[in-house]
Amino acid sequence: MKITALFVLKCNATTTTDGSDPLILANATDVSQFGYFQRSSVREFIVFIARTVAKRTPQGQRQSVQHEEYKVHAYNRNGLCALGVMDDHYPVRSAFSLLNKVMDEYQKSFGESWRTVDKDSTQSWPFLDEALIKFQDPHEADKLLKIQKDLDETKIILHQTIESVLARGEKLDSLVEKSSDLSAASQMFYKQAKQTNQCCTVL
Amino acid sequence: MASAFRDRTSEFRSVTETLKKKIGAPTPPPLPNQPENAPSSTDSPVPNSRSEFNRKASRIGLGIHDTSQKIARLAQLAKKSSIFNDPIVEIQEMTAVIKNEITALNAALSDLQTIQNMEIADGMYSEDRVVHSNAVCDDLKSRLMGATKKLQDVLTTRTENIKAHENRKQIFSKNTSRENPFQHHPKPAHVPPPWSNSLNPSEDLQQQSALTSNGVPVGNQLRRRLAVDNAPTPQMEMSMVQQVVPHQDNYAQSRATALHSVESTITELSGIFTHLATMVAQQGELAIRIDDNMEETLANVDGAHSSLLRHLNRISSNRWLLIKIFAILIFFLMIFIFFVA
Repeated sequence: MKITALFVLKCNATTTTDGSDPLILANATDVSQFGYFQRSSVREFIVFIARTVAKRTPQGQRQSVQHEEYKVHAYNRNGLCALGVMDDHYPVRSAFSLLNKVMDEYQKSFGESWRTVDKDSTQSWPFLDEALIKFQDPHEADKLLKIQKDLDETKIILHQTIESVLARGEKLDSLVEKSSDLSAASQMFYKQAKQTNQCCTVL
Repeated sequence: MASAFRDRTSEFRSVTETLKKKIGAPTPPPLPNQPENAPSSTDSPVPNSRSEFNRKASRIGLGIHDTSQKIARLAQLAKKSSIFNDPIVEIQEMTAVIKNEITALNAALSDLQTIQNMEIADGMYSEDRVVHSNAVCDDLKSRLMGATKKLQDVLTTRTENIKAHENRKQIFSKNTSRENPFQHHPKPAHVPPPWSNSLNPSEDLQQQSALTSNGVPVGNQLRRRLAVDNAPTPQMEMSMVQQVVPHQDNYAQSRATALHSVESTITELSGIFTHLATMVAQQGELAIRIDDNMEETLANVDGAHSSLLRHLNRISSNRWLLIKIFAILIFFLMIFIFFVA
């Protein structure tokens, strides 16, 4: 359940037709699972894949592409493309909601300035790095998933509560019986005491 | 168990006949024939309806026994299901069958109760029969409740097992994810059909979808409620135009299904809460009763305690009493001596 990379790219309508590659606006990769010497080549490979997929994602569309053991999810909206490289087990819906979030955040923080960019930007955007770390768990990304999980847990807890309430009911039942027995016994005791008392008042 | 009750009507009838003969012996012989004919004609509908009650009761008892046997089998199945050979379909079928049987038994039991009430309303029957039929109905009801409880336990164990399996699968599938795509790579053409099978959104507790049928954890998610939305086929060079549009729909659909499941879970939760509230309210009443009993006990014990104390006080410091006792004793002694001497 791992996110390997998150990208924000700029792809114009022209890039799909005239073959020019989309430009990287923000980039966050986590290649710690590979060996030290492979990391840079893996990173370049990922960048290349990202560019290719973004190039082929039409405007206003979402797309998921399977490559070896990773899935690349891309969402192109008005020329701004958010892309994520994740493994097979990351649920697709959470992936796209994460991409939505990234895109909204980018537009909020950078406005429309990205439209004038004409080459890859090499600055790192801290939000993206944080997002990469935070959203490794799909539950964080997709609120629906989280709600569902919480609801399931709550239901289990409620079932246990109901069972314990039933047990409590049974105990209360036995308590009622015992207390009624007690009250009967105490009544007998009272009567006996009064009787023993009465015989001596005569004297 | 052939029948829940032994039908001893024939013995009873023979006993009544002998008794009647004994009572009817002093009267002239032709008379006993006529009163015997009349009661026998009224008797014949009576044993019919009585045995109808018994017959229905025995059928219900048999049905309950069958159902509890099936529940036991279901429990065994649920226990022995391992990660890989889940007899899911069987279990679902059995659960559905058992549920149907239980509802049918419930309906039959309520019918039985209405019959019994009708019989009581007729008014001609002895108290013993009323008591007996009440006991029969209560027994059947309690047995049915026991069977339902067992079914519930079986279902809870099954869901726990499923959760444990899925956790374990998740752990293992992280390791095997590397191996699987290598299978995908050489045969791209075959990939769409198994994935199209697994496009069913997985449903709730009772109905596991056929995701595990492939045996390959392709798109096998954490929770049963996730809609599995598998991507169209892999290769970069293939044009994906046709498959993108259904993908968009799938995305929206998956969100819609997720929302629906969340909504249904919330409604279930609200039902559980109301249930809980009613139970607690009922138990509150019980607690009040216990309180009352205890107060009564306290009052009684207090009264007894005070009277005993008075008793003690009166006896312990009562020189006057001692003098009185001795006076009486001496008085009797004197009278005794005077009379004898």
